[in-house]
Amino acid sequence: MSLITVIWIMSASACLTLAAINFMVWFRNRKVWGNLFFCLLATGTAAFAFCELTMMRADSPARFAAVLRWGHVAVWVLVLSLVGFVRAYLGAGRPWLAWTVCGLRTLALVLNFLVGQNLNYLEVTRLRPTLFLGESVQIAEGVPNPFMLVGQLSFLVLIIFLVEATVTTWRRGDRHRAVAVGGTAVFFILFSILQSVFVFWGITRVPIVASLSLMGLVAVMGYELSGQTINASELGRKLQESEAGLHEIEERMRLAIEAAGFGVLVRDFNRDEMWASDKWRALFGFSGTERLDFEGVIKRVHPDDREALHSVLDRARSGYGVYDAEFRAVLPSGQVRWIGVRGRVEFDSAGKPAFARSVSHDITREKEAEEEGNRLRRQIAHVDRVSVMGQLASALAHEINQPLGAILRNAEAAELFMQDQSPDLDEVRAILADIRKDDQRAGNVIDRMRALLKRQDTDKRLVDVDELVAEVGALLRFDAAARHIKLEWEVADNLPQVFGDPVHLQQVLLNLIVNGMDALDGANPADRRVSVTAALNGSKTIEIAVSDSGRGIPADKLAHIFDPFFTTKTNGMGMGLPISRTIVEAHKGRLWAENKDDGGASFRFTLPIAEKVP
Amino acid sequence: MSATVPVVHVVDDDTSFLTAMSRLLRANGFTVKTYSSAQAFLAQRDAEAPGCVLADLRMPEMNGLDLQSALAQTSNPLPILFLTGHGDIPTSVQAMRNGAEDFLEKRAPKEKLLDAVARALARDSREREARDRLVELRALFDTLTEREREVLAHVVQGRLNKQIAWDLGIHERTVKLHRTAITAKLKVRSVAELTHLTQEAGIFPELLQTFPKGQ
Repeated sequence: MSLITVIWIMSASACLTLAAINFMVWFRNRKVWGNLFFCLLATGTAAFAFCELTMMRADSPARFAAVLRWGHVAVWVLVLSLVGFVRAYLGAGRPWLAWTVCGLRTLALVLNFLVGQNLNYLEVTRLRPTLFLGESVQIAEGVPNPFMLVGQLSFLVLIIFLVEATVTTWRRGDRHRAVAVGGTAVFFILFSILQSVFVFWGITRVPIVASLSLMGLVAVMGYELSGQTINASELGRKLQESEAGLHEIEERMRLAIEAAGFGVLVRDFNRDEMWASDKWRALFGFSGTERLDFEGVIKRVHPDDREALHSVLDRARSGYGVYDAEFRAVLPSGQVRWIGVRGRVEFDSAGKPAFARSVSHDITREKEAEEEGNRLRRQIAHVDRVSVMGQLASALAHEINQPLGAILRNAEAAELFMQDQSPDLDEVRAILADIRKDDQRAGNVIDRMRALLKRQDTDKRLVDVDELVAEVGALLRFDAAARHIKLEWEVADNLPQVFGDPVHLQQVLLNLIVNGMDALDGANPADRRVSVTAALNGSKTIEIAVSDSGRGIPADKLAHIFDPFFTTKTNGMGMGLPISRTIVEAHKGRLWAENKDDGGASFRFTLPIAEKVP
Repeated sequence: MSATVPVVHVVDDDTSFLTAMSRLLRANGFTVKTYSSAQAFLAQRDAEAPGCVLADLRMPEMNGLDLQSALAQTSNPLPILFLTGHGDIPTSVQAMRNGAEDFLEKRAPKEKLLDAVARALARDSREREARDRLVELRALFDTLTEREREVLAHVVQGRLNKQIAWDLGIHERTVKLHRTAITAKLKVRSVAELTHLTQEAGIFPELLQTFPKGQ
C-alpha cells in the first residue's frame, strides 16, 4: 500500500474514532453540545480526507470534478460544526458572525451544485500526474469558477469569527482554552484555506491536502476534550468514593446502634408513617414486614404504663420537644420486657410536629437489679436489727460471764477451804456473800436483755422519750464502761410523747450511740465521752442529739455516711446510718450529721410530737 | 537462781472476779498478788521476782494485749495467761502470736486453769535459768581481750592458724598463743566446744547460724 494511502486512511480512521468517542460522550449526556459538534467536525474531516484521496487517484477529469463537488458537503459540515463547537465549547464568538459564516457557506454549497462542475471549477479540462511524496498523483487543470469567491469569503469571515472568539476567551482569563482551541483553529484553518486557494487558482501545482491540517485541528481539540472527559470521569470516581464513604459511615452508625442494643423508631406525622430498625421490631415483637402504626405500638405497652407514656409523649409533641420514659412492653408471646426510650420531636416551620425520632433499649436487667436492690435493702433492715441485737448479746454475754466466772471461782475456793481441818468460816461466809452478789449482777443483765428481745414485735404506740433514752442507756452502760467511755444523758423535763415504734426508735438511738463510741477508739482516754440530749425543738418536734468527743467526720466523708454500704469500720456493714435514717423518716422526722465546733461529731434527729391521743 | 517464791499476778478490773480468783489460787497453794488495772501491776510488781501473770484481756485504758507488749519490753518478761469473759478469735490469735502462755475463758474448768498456771511458772523458771546462764556466759566472754575476740571470730569459722595469721598480719605462733589463752579463759578443751559456747552466748550472731531458742 502506498504511503499516501496509509497516511490518509489512518488519519481519517483516527478522526472517525475520535468522532465515535465524542458521539458516545454526547449520547450519554445530551447537554454537552461541544462533543457533538466535535464529532461532526471530525467526521467531516474524515470525509474530506477520503475525497482528497479519491481525487489524487482519479482516473478522469469528470470523476475528479464529481468527487470535489461532494467534498464540499464535507466542508459545509466541517465549517458549521467548527462554528458550533467554538460557540458551545468556548462560549464565545459573535452570533452574527457565526450566522454569516453559516449563511455564506450554505450559499457556497448551493452554488457548488448549481454552477459549473463544482464550486471551484466551471470545468475540469484535464488531469495531470504529479510527483507527491514519491508517488504519482492526479492534479486537475480547468476553468476556475468565479463563485469560488463566495466560499473563500465564508472562510475569511470564519477566520474573523475565530479570532474574535479567541480574543474574547483570552480576555475572560481562560487563556489555556483560548490558545488550545481558538489559536489552534485559526492556525490550521488559515493553513488549509491558503493551501486550497493556491491550488484552485492554479498558483501551485500540488494536490489538495487541506485535510492534513484539519486533522491537526481535530487532534488538538480531541486532546482538549478528552482532558475534559478525564476530569469528568475523575469527578465521577470521587463522587463514587464519597458515596462509598457515606455508606461506610452509615454502616458504622448502624453497627454502633445495633451493638448497643438500641432500636430506632422514626415517626412521620404528616404522612402518618412509622419506620423502625430491625432491632426495634425485635424489642417490641414486630416482624420485619409488619406495618407499624401508633395505635399498634401503644397496644404493646403494658396497660398500666400507657397513661404515663402518653403524658410524656403529649408533652414532647406540644412543644417540649424531648421525651424520656421507661415502661413495660408486652410481647405477643406474653413476655414482659422493660424498655427505656429517649426521643426527640422535630417541628415544622408552623410549629406542628413533623417527625419524632427515638431510640429504645431493653432495661429489663437494670430494672430487675434495682428491684433486687430494694428487696435486699428491706432484708438488710431486718438483718441489721438482728445483728445489732447480736452485738448487744455478745456484749451482754461478756457481762454475764464476769459474775458467773466469779461465782465459779468462789465456789471452787470455798470447796477447798472446807476441806481444811479447821476451815476459815469467815472466809467462807464472805465467799457466799460474794456469790449472792454476783448472781444478782448476772440476773440483772439477763432481765435487761429479755426485756429488749420481748419488745421487738410491738407496733407503733405512744412513746415517752425519757423512757426510750433510759432503756437504751441501761443497755449500753456495760459496753461503755468496758470501753472506758463516759455516757452523759441530758433529757429535758416533761417532754411530750411521740408516736412510734419504740423498738425501732431504740435501734436508731443504739446505732447512733454505738457509732459515737466506735468513733472514740484510739481517742484520748481522759476525754472519752458520748452525750445524748433530748429537748423540744419548736412547738411540734423533739430533737434528740448524740454527740461524741472524737475527731469528727472528715469533710469528704460527711456527704456519704448515709449511703448504704459506706463504712469506715473494718467489720461494719455500712447499713446502720441508712437504716436509722429510714426509720426516722418513717416517723416523719429528719436525721442528719454535723461536726461540732469543739471537735467530734453530732448526729441529730427529730420526731414530731404526738398531736392527740389517737 | 533467785530464792524468792514465784508469785501469780492476777490483773482484772472486775474486783469481784479478782477476789474469787485470788481465793482459788491461794487455796491451791499459790502465792497471789492482785491488781485492778494493768498500770497498777506494772507499777507495783517486783522487777526481778519470778512468777507469771493472769490478766483479763478486756480492760479499760490498758487492755491485756497492751500489758503483754509492755511486759515484753522489760528485763523480767513474765509469761502471761489471758482470761476473758467471752472469747473472740482475732484477739486470741493475736495474743498467742505474741507469745501468750495460754488463753482461757473466765469460766474454764479449774484443772485447766491450775495446769496453765503451773505451766506458766515452769516456763518462767526455765527461761529465767537460760537468761542467768546467758549473763554468766557473756561475763566469761567479756574477759577476752580485743585481739583474742578477733582471733576467736576466725577460729569459730573453722579457719587455720596460718590463714588467721595472714589475715590479721601477725605471726602464726602468736595466733597459737592467743588460742591457748582463749581456751583457758573460757574453760573449753576443743574447737567444737568453743564454737558451741560462742553460739550459746550469742556472740558473733552474724557469723554463726543459731537455732531458734526456747522451742
